[in-house]
Amino acid sequence: MPDLHELGEAIKRGDRDTAAALTKAAIETKIPAQEILDAMVGAMDIVGQRFQKNEIFVPEMLIAARAMKEAMGLLEPILVEAGITPVAKAVIGTVEGDLHDIGKNLVAMMWKGANFDVIDLGTNVSPQKFVDAVRTNNAQLVGLSALLTTTMPAIKKTVDAIKGAGLDVTKIVIGGAPVTQEYANEVGADGYAPDAASAVDVARSLL
Amino acid sequence: MNGRQRLLAFLRGEPVDSLPLMPITMMFAADHAGVKYGEYATDYRALVAGQIALADAYDVDYVSCISDPAREAADCGARVAMFDDQPPAIVETDALLADKARLASLEPPDPHTGRRMADRVRAAALFRQQVGDRKLIEGWIEGPCAEAADLRGINTLMLDFFDDPDFVHQLFEFTLQLGMRFARAQVEAGADLVGVGDAAASLVGPEFYQQFVWPYERRLVQALHDMGALVRLHICGNTGAILGGMGQLGCDIVDLDFMVSLADARRVMGPQQVLLGNIDPVRVLRGGTPESIRAAIAQCHRDAGPRYIVGAGCEVPRATAPANLRALTEYARATAP
Repeated sequence: MPDLHELGEAIKRGDRDTAAALTKAAIETKIPAQEILDAMVGAMDIVGQRFQKNEIFVPEMLIAARAMKEAMGLLEPILVEAGITPVAKAVIGTVEGDLHDIGKNLVAMMWKGANFDVIDLGTNVSPQKFVDAVRTNNAQLVGLSALLTTTMPAIKKTVDAIKGAGLDVTKIVIGGAPVTQEYANEVGADGYAPDAASAVDVARSLL
Repeated sequence: MNGRQRLLAFLRGEPVDSLPLMPITMMFAADHAGVKYGEYATDYRALVAGQIALADAYDVDYVSCISDPAREAADCGARVAMFDDQPPAIVETDALLADKARLASLEPPDPHTGRRMADRVRAAALFRQQVGDRKLIEGWIEGPCAEAADLRGINTLMLDFFDDPDFVHQLFEFTLQLGMRFARAQVEAGADLVGVGDAAASLVGPEFYQQFVWPYERRLVQALHDMGALVRLHICGNTGAILGGMGQLGCDIVDLDFMVSLADARRVMGPQQVLLGNIDPVRVLRGGTPESIRAAIAQCHRDAGPRYIVGAGCEVPRATAPANLRALTEYARATAP
């Protein structure tokens, strides 16, 4: 019987080969998909907590997320078959004019690790593109990232565009080096995440 | 004392008349001079005029060639997006070394003939002509880790630490040589001090920092000292976990970003290391009042002790109220170390 604890450990240490092998074995031995998923999500939660506590750093987080992605790729068809859907649909990107994406990528990975269906629009995304993606995907969550003080105003423009398009039910979380809770309040964002791990907590609290 | 005298004396451990003042100004300086940032970052004459105007207006003790992290990468052939009024940015999705094999044939560009590097070397020379001995002149280079991230893509580099450590060492050796050549050109042109921006180093933990980053930073610092330059290390971000290593590099000045405790840095690095910083640029410097800024800087000074230079954790943000920046000047000028 494949050990789901070991699967979680493999994800935490970023061992994608072992994570994939254990996932495959778990599927083959008919362990319920929800149990496998819970093991994966639980592992990524711990990765996020360790990151918040400065016990691990960006490289460790990235390889854990990569292992999670590999394992999730195998599990996804089984989840679909079992009728298990992602917790939420989320659209994410860096705002117009901003090409710095490592923070956004970390949040996207952590959201995927929390079983959100993440549509990553990449960098330098216009407000209209965010609006279109939210509408097309019926997203419940949007993540906006800006690294520069110069690109922060594009957060406000994007928030305005999303709210102005009548998509008020979509919750908007913002983050990035110069971004603050005060700024989030000022521009009407629903949440502010100071780091990638908190982005999961913030998103869960809003949904 | 003028700014240059004050800084040089302070860094030698000699008495000075007031605390030195070295805030990083880039977009704020361009705005102060009324030029678009695209011009500031690509025309050394605009940068030099902006820096001198700013330094004179706010009694800042130095002028700097710093503008953006993409100069070396651009001249190596990386794709860089240019903007009318914000800093040039490397296009990570099209990283120069997306294919690792390209490193073998990559040569460090000549800093005198390259486009963007040569522009910075000219800035150092023009500073020397125009400020003479009034202000300290700072050159600027990317540190080995930051430049590696610029060339390879920061997301990919973070995985390389696990996937291909040998490649990381080869890449860091390349970026070290690139940084040394670029620094030498700026020092020969007139820079007194070289700022080393190694932002990507704040993303790794102490183990990778010691294994991969520190040895190259250490060699860089030694090489810069051998050139006769002073060295300032600036690692944006939370460096709390790597303070020990940073304090053993032998840098003349170590900058700390706002999320790092100056008291911790002082404890870890010992009483002699000159520390610079570290009020929160956005919340405190831009968002505060002159009174709250003076209080925050006084706290930094108390935490850091006498071997302390006044500044923010990182760049003075655009749209900071002039009175807020002036609060830093007033504190520095009114206070003995």
